[in-house]
Amino acid sequence: MLFLAMAWRNVWRHRRRSVLTVAAISLGLAFNIFMRGLGDGFHEQMVDNSVQSHIGHIQIHRAGYHDDPAITKTLPDPAAVRQAIEALPNLRGFSFRVLGDGLASSAENSAGVGVVGVTPDEESRVTTVHRAVVEGEYLDPGQHKPALIGARLAKLLQLSLGDSLVVLVQAADGSMGGEKYKITGIFRSGSPDLDRGMVYLLLRDAQSLFALEGRYTEATLLLNNSSGVAAAQAALTAHLAGDGVEVLPWYVVEPYIQQFIELDDAFFYVIVLILFIVISVGILNTILMSVFERVREFGVMMSLGMKPRQVIRLVVLEAALLAVVGILIGGAIGSAFTLYYASAGMDLASWAEGAAAIGMTSTVAYPKLTALNLGLSSLAVLFVVMLVSLYPAVHAARLRPVEAIRHV
Amino acid sequence: MALVEMEEVSKTYRDHVDVPALRDVTLHLEPGDFAAVVGPSGSGKTTLLNLAGALDQPDSGTIRIGGLDLTATPPDKLADFRLRRLGFVFQSFNLFPVLNVVENLEFVPALQGVPQRTRRAKAMALLQVVGMTDLAGKRPNELSGGQQQRVGVLRAILTEPDLVLADEPTANLDSTNASNLLDMMEQLNHEKGITFLFSTHDPQVMERARRLIRLKDGRVV
Repeated sequence: MLFLAMAWRNVWRHRRRSVLTVAAISLGLAFNIFMRGLGDGFHEQMVDNSVQSHIGHIQIHRAGYHDDPAITKTLPDPAAVRQAIEALPNLRGFSFRVLGDGLASSAENSAGVGVVGVTPDEESRVTTVHRAVVEGEYLDPGQHKPALIGARLAKLLQLSLGDSLVVLVQAADGSMGGEKYKITGIFRSGSPDLDRGMVYLLLRDAQSLFALEGRYTEATLLLNNSSGVAAAQAALTAHLAGDGVEVLPWYVVEPYIQQFIELDDAFFYVIVLILFIVISVGILNTILMSVFERVREFGVMMSLGMKPRQVIRLVVLEAALLAVVGILIGGAIGSAFTLYYASAGMDLASWAEGAAAIGMTSTVAYPKLTALNLGLSSLAVLFVVMLVSLYPAVHAARLRPVEAIRHV
Repeated sequence: MALVEMEEVSKTYRDHVDVPALRDVTLHLEPGDFAAVVGPSGSGKTTLLNLAGALDQPDSGTIRIGGLDLTATPPDKLADFRLRRLGFVFQSFNLFPVLNVVENLEFVPALQGVPQRTRRAKAMALLQVVGMTDLAGKRPNELSGGQQQRVGVLRAILTEPDLVLADEPTANLDSTNASNLLDMMEQLNHEKGITFLFSTHDPQVMERARRLIRLKDGRVV
């Protein structure tokens, strides 16, 4: 306790200097906590938006479909797939779909599109397209050949609600399929790809168009939370082993999202590393000055019998105490900012275009504060400070008592 | 057996010029001695105390203190030896400014691993013996020079070392304070049998020492 008291009091011998050092540590940590929280929240929203806009948490196809998505590769045993999905404990919803490429045409223009045939009820429990309808209504099974298209596609084809949309496809039997649909709804999801490239039809109409009566190209499912994806994938894979299907998590279906997250994380760590280096230089200066000012004291300590490793421990302890104060203050500031914006949201409207390109349908980001983030950031700061203090500590320990005592 | 046995000890400081600080010094101190090393500046007094205090190593000769050959002991063990067997009183007091009086006294026993309650009790008891308990909670910057040096002496003897080395302990004190300090050290020497070895210019110290070791140009004369 005596040496702890000594270390604590030594820290505050030069109050202004220590306050500035603590401030640097605090601000660095607060920045780290907030930016990590913003990143985590942003990434989570990105994943949720992408997952809930179209791809779901897990997709099940015929084996080989992902590498070569041919319309002829339909699920071999949809009943078995349905049974396996319904056995999952963490399930929010699932949707059996027919998905294929086609050409959407109007009198004015034509465009390549993805044709998605869905059961509206099932699909609304997996994706949020039904909430993105801005004109007309979501698909209604009571309607005759309704079509739901994105606002960008509508603009491209110069079509409005009630207009006819012609869709041409290559059917599963090799023939050319073509049908006319009535536009009953226009959606704006916020995702340029979806709004420009998707045409939603009733499942029965898509099956007829592609000559796939009673068949499906994929089953898409949504879980209650994305943390259960790996477990659900494992369970489905085990259940459907040998059934000739592939069970793919979202990050395999759309790897660019995960790649973006990893790239974003990498940039973040580079920034944090630079920040830590800058802060470390300041801390090193503080501790070095503190050691140089106490050369005689260290000489006296070692003369009285303090061993070099005990001197090192004392200097590192002083640095650690500085770090702890900085961590407490910085942790409080960083947490407060993060929690505030976690509730209020942070509007990133100036980056709206870029955000939409990576699956964000809203420009408001909600940072996340986790115990893991807070704990790891704090430990990292403590570790860096103690590491940086080793150089001045070893310098002090290597002093020759005989010379140090005479130091002015 | 002598407490301190220095046999043919020499030490030369090598820088741009070689400076022989001690030459073939042979010195024996008995337990309970109250001895002073005297001589002009540059005669080797401080060097002799540094060697006896296991703070430096001679170039030749042997030094035994309490039977331990310091010249054949590794540095880590020397630190331990200083901690448990020696006490130091410095010219410039050298109390730790962030510790109060009683904490300064506790520093060495704390290094030795003595429990807090025990070392606190011992420190307070010693302050009581010398009538300084009212200073227990004061920091060094609240004490006079004489008070600081007395605390320095108490720090040196609290753990009852075999030998206390005092390098010009009265150099920064006026004559009254120097006399009071010497009174205290003599009292401790008589009552506890602690051996004192001073280096000094101070005539008061020379008068009080029961043994004088005169150095000139690094040799005992």
